[in-house]
Amino acid sequence: MSRGHHAEKATGKGDPQCFKGEASAPKFKVGDRVRIRDLPDIFYTRCQVYTRGAEGVVTVVTHESPAPEDEAWDNVDKPEWFYIVRFKQKELWPEYPDVYENDTLQTEFSERWLESA
Amino acid sequence: MPSDTRQKVMRHIDIVGQLQPALHQPQHAPLPTEVDNAHYRAYMRTSHDVGGEPDVTIQWHEKEEEQWELNTYVTCECLAWRGVWNAEERRRRQNVDLGQTQYLGLPYYGRWLLSAARIMVDKQHITLTELMNKIEEVKNRHE
Repeated sequence: MSRGHHAEKATGKGDPQCFKGEASAPKFKVGDRVRIRDLPDIFYTRCQVYTRGAEGVVTVVTHESPAPEDEAWDNVDKPEWFYIVRFKQKELWPEYPDVYENDTLQTEFSERWLESA
Repeated sequence: MPSDTRQKVMRHIDIVGQLQPALHQPQHAPLPTEVDNAHYRAYMRTSHDVGGEPDVTIQWHEKEEEQWELNTYVTCECLAWRGVWNAEERRRRQNVDLGQTQYLGLPYYGRWLLSAARIMVDKQHITLTELMNKIEEVKNRHE
């Protein structure tokens, strides 16, 4: 691969659009209940620790891209699906006030971080 | 060598000594057997993953971007354009690799700039010797 491969791949398409069609079929769909896996914390991730083990609902199947853990070392040959997951704030923060029990939080994960709940 | 070099060195040593350790418990140079799984995980945590951690209130500052900050941004984008890194590698370097003390202590674009310099050295586009000599040359120009 040439030195400018990432920029070349994204030119005229954008990133992550340039990875469209490169992941295998998405494992989850909108409405699925998922639990965030507690994979090892080592060197790099964008999966926030406060979500580990929490259960939420897939709200959007967003895009295909290499996972941050791969892309951060320029390993871009295995894109996977990304999902936006919605959590009840009470699920994430045990001391969250009952009066705001309908509050939710949404954040994004690559597929490896999700399992069916 | 400027006459105040020793003074600067002593002040540096003093400030470094005041930096907060990552763990707010007596834990300086623990024995290997004293680092249990929970502490190991705490040490391994990526420094940008601060969500939910107790902290003091931080004051919001509205601030225009300065010229050096814009220049830094463009430099980093050029490095991506020329294939030196992608955005995720840049984020890894400027948010995690530099460690918790620098992550929490340095300005946002200062971290961008440092990571740009670092990757040029890591990937052997320049040598650290060349970088040191250039910094010294520019510093002398302004003294």
